Amino acid sequence: MEVDVTQLTRRGSAVMRRSHRVSAERVTFGRGTNNEVPLVDIRIELSAAALSKVDDGLVVESLGQSPLRVNGSSVMTASVKPGDEVLIGPYRIALTEPPEGVDAALSIELVQPIGNSLSALVAGSRITVAAAAIGKRSMSWTALLVIVVACIVAPIAVYWAGLVPPWHERAPHPGPAGIVTLSWNAGQLSNPHRAFAVDCAACHQHAFIAVSDKACLTCHSQVGAHAEVHADLGPLHAKLATMRCTQCHQEHRGLKGLVIREAGLCVNCHRDLAGAAPGAGIKDVTGFPMGHPEFRATLVADPTGHRLVRHQLGTDPAPRDHPGLHFSHAAHLVPAGFPALGYKPMVCADCHKPEPGGLGFLPITYKGECQSCHALKFDSSVGLPWPDATVPHGDDSGIVAAVWNYYAGKALQTGITPPPAPPGVTRRAAGTPPPPAGTPPETVKAWVAKRTEEALRGVVLEPKRGCAYCHLGTGPNGKFELDKILPSPLAPAATTRVRIVAPVVMEARFLPKAQFDHAAHATSKCEDCHAARKSQSSSDVLIPGIQTCLRCHGGETAALRTQSTCITCHVFHHTDFGPMRMSTAKH
Amino acid sequence: MSLSDPLASSGRARPTRHESFLAYGGFRYLKLAALAGAVSLLIYVIDRPYGGRYGGSWAGYTLGTVGALLIAWLTWFGYRKRSYTEDSGRLTARLSAHVYLGLVLLLIATLHTGFHFGWNVHTLAYVLMCLVIASGVFGVLCYARYPRLMTENRGNMTMQQMLGRIASLNDELRTRAVTLDDATTILINRAVESTAIGGSVWRQLSGRYPGCTTAAAIAGLNAQAAAAAVAPDQEDAQRQIRLLLDEKTTLLGRIRRDISHKAMMDIWLYFHVPLSFALLAALSAHILSVFFLW
Repeated sequence: MEVDVTQLTRRGSAVMRRSHRVSAERVTFGRGTNNEVPLVDIRIELSAAALSKVDDGLVVESLGQSPLRVNGSSVMTASVKPGDEVLIGPYRIALTEPPEGVDAALSIELVQPIGNSLSALVAGSRITVAAAAIGKRSMSWTALLVIVVACIVAPIAVYWAGLVPPWHERAPHPGPAGIVTLSWNAGQLSNPHRAFAVDCAACHQHAFIAVSDKACLTCHSQVGAHAEVHADLGPLHAKLATMRCTQCHQEHRGLKGLVIREAGLCVNCHRDLAGAAPGAGIKDVTGFPMGHPEFRATLVADPTGHRLVRHQLGTDPAPRDHPGLHFSHAAHLVPAGFPALGYKPMVCADCHKPEPGGLGFLPITYKGECQSCHALKFDSSVGLPWPDATVPHGDDSGIVAAVWNYYAGKALQTGITPPPAPPGVTRRAAGTPPPPAGTPPETVKAWVAKRTEEALRGVVLEPKRGCAYCHLGTGPNGKFELDKILPSPLAPAATTRVRIVAPVVMEARFLPKAQFDHAAHATSKCEDCHAARKSQSSSDVLIPGIQTCLRCHGGETAALRTQSTCITCHVFHHTDFGPMRMSTAKH
Repeated sequence: MSLSDPLASSGRARPTRHESFLAYGGFRYLKLAALAGAVSLLIYVIDRPYGGRYGGSWAGYTLGTVGALLIAWLTWFGYRKRSYTEDSGRLTARLSAHVYLGLVLLLIATLHTGFHFGWNVHTLAYVLMCLVIASGVFGVLCYARYPRLMTENRGNMTMQQMLGRIASLNDELRTRAVTLDDATTILINRAVESTAIGGSVWRQLSGRYPGCTTAAAIAGLNAQAAAAAVAPDQEDAQRQIRLLLDEKTTLLGRIRRDISHKAMMDIWLYFHVPLSFALLAALSAHILSVFFLW
């Protein structure tokens, strides 16, 4: 067949044509040079397609793997006629009307040129981070807005709209509003306050205003004041009045708690308290242990008048207590023991029983601690109509009555030995009726009274068994004023109760200004601090001085001693001074 | 150079050789930062508030204020470095100050915390600050290391030159592969049309291109040679194609390494800048919250 082949090249609007004639049985197209129409492009197979003449026209078929696009359809073979278009790779072959004597005429045009390699290369490559990554500006804005909304707008909204219900109304679960406010939490809350940690407004009641006393006293309304209302504190009064709770109690410091323990907080005022407020009667303290005065024990100065006095320990002469009782610790702590106790030596705990909580000890009573050995029984040689008679302890009139009853009873039972008749006493004339029965003769009453008086002197004053063994009398120098209680002559009982035994005033706390916790020191022995074994008199003060404490306790930064600060032993809030008053400071 | 040299007219001598921004002015800003650090430590140590040190004592407030002002000044550098109209000071000086004062900020802010940390916006601000400083340190290290590596890698060529050479190699490959068989031309065509240069951030950084079509073409040619499936008349053409492919591979390696180095020098700023703005937001939240819930 004869085929006219025209190569078209466009440049702008101009078109260049180059034609030549091909004679072949079959016109093949392809990259190989053996083709009748070589299409020199790497994108085309060596033998791509063939055009053949058949009876009723022309047929084009694909010789390689890829199909041809004939008039838009992908086919492997198709009949073609003038006016059709065939796309082989990047080349377009358009069939035109062949001239006379020619079987086919076609024009070939490269419609998909390779183009500029460099620009193709650059266009297909992202060679900088800026080309491939999200822009810095958008990332910055996103980050900024997220944090502003989550950490500024949301917490403020939650606070002002009151979206966190007050802690006493809220269920334990915090909820999303609570989580938002927790982002502003500057530090862990102390253990008791953690229950309402999400409710910032519980304490921070007003924005931009420091936590006020009012917030604390809402719950802690019963906490005690530091000084009495009308205490004479001089210029320190104003200082105390403007103190705020938060000066000593700081939250957001973790589980360890709110109280600031540094001694400096206390020493700031107490370093010159004696000068500024002498009426307070408190000595200056400049620190611990250096600068802390020797302890002053509260002692009974005068048991009858109930007068107490504070006396410094360790002075010469030593301080003396006046509990109104004769008692020797040494006599009780003898190693041999006592028969009543099975000859086991006594120990401190036999009488000093710790109170609940272990801070101090229960009061010592006759009934609880002394009676088991010192029972006030009548002698067994005395024949009593009732067994185990004891003199009632603590009831002076009762003692008189007991003794009097004893002798009256005896008189009734066994009769009396009348005293010899004094001269001049008229005998009852014979024949005259006796006095009516039921009325004891004057002589009987007098006998009872006399015997009672004698016995009482023995009961009371007997040095081994009587009241005087342990007690002091109400008279001067502890003398027993027996006349007060002796019935003479057996007058009707006095209308008021009398006392001849001075009251016993035993201090429960010798150092009431501090809280010494015996339970915390339970592993020590009593004798480590109290020299009781050698004490023979109850006026000995057995309270240890500060040097005893300093054996183990040191200052707040002590390395080799127990670190101690003011509030280790002392208390700031005294409930007996009334409730804490709100600060008069501005915030 | 320019007709009017402002520095020459002001009398200041321009250095005749490159002076690193770290050594600028005889380490002037390093000394300044060291002094600031020492003063901060002193302030921290002499304040012993009741209840322990924390951000709200007088020392805490001082260090916090200084730290906040420093953060603002350091962020301002990002704006100032783009202004070329200012004549006062040189960019090197400002960068040197930025780096050293940024480093001492870490100390100042840590002292300000009193070493109290928690799950809150305050520690968030601190952590963001640490990340900003860490990314900055990384940037300084990159700037110290990579420029030299890039120069050594490139030899005498610029990136444009290298890309142009690749493009012409592609053209040559296309021309020469025309006479080869279909299997080979498919490989060459793919190598030419999908030359993998750059790509995602990760690919740029790693410099690893497992799907490199040029390498695949070489592997294909090797397989053909191993299978002895090369026709004798094609051997010559194949050899030439191999040479071209080898040269392209070497050049591609250089380009990819260059891209990787450049990416390392750029990527740190993608952390440094957004984190700085996040820090500004968190810092504002911190300062506001501290006074809001006083």
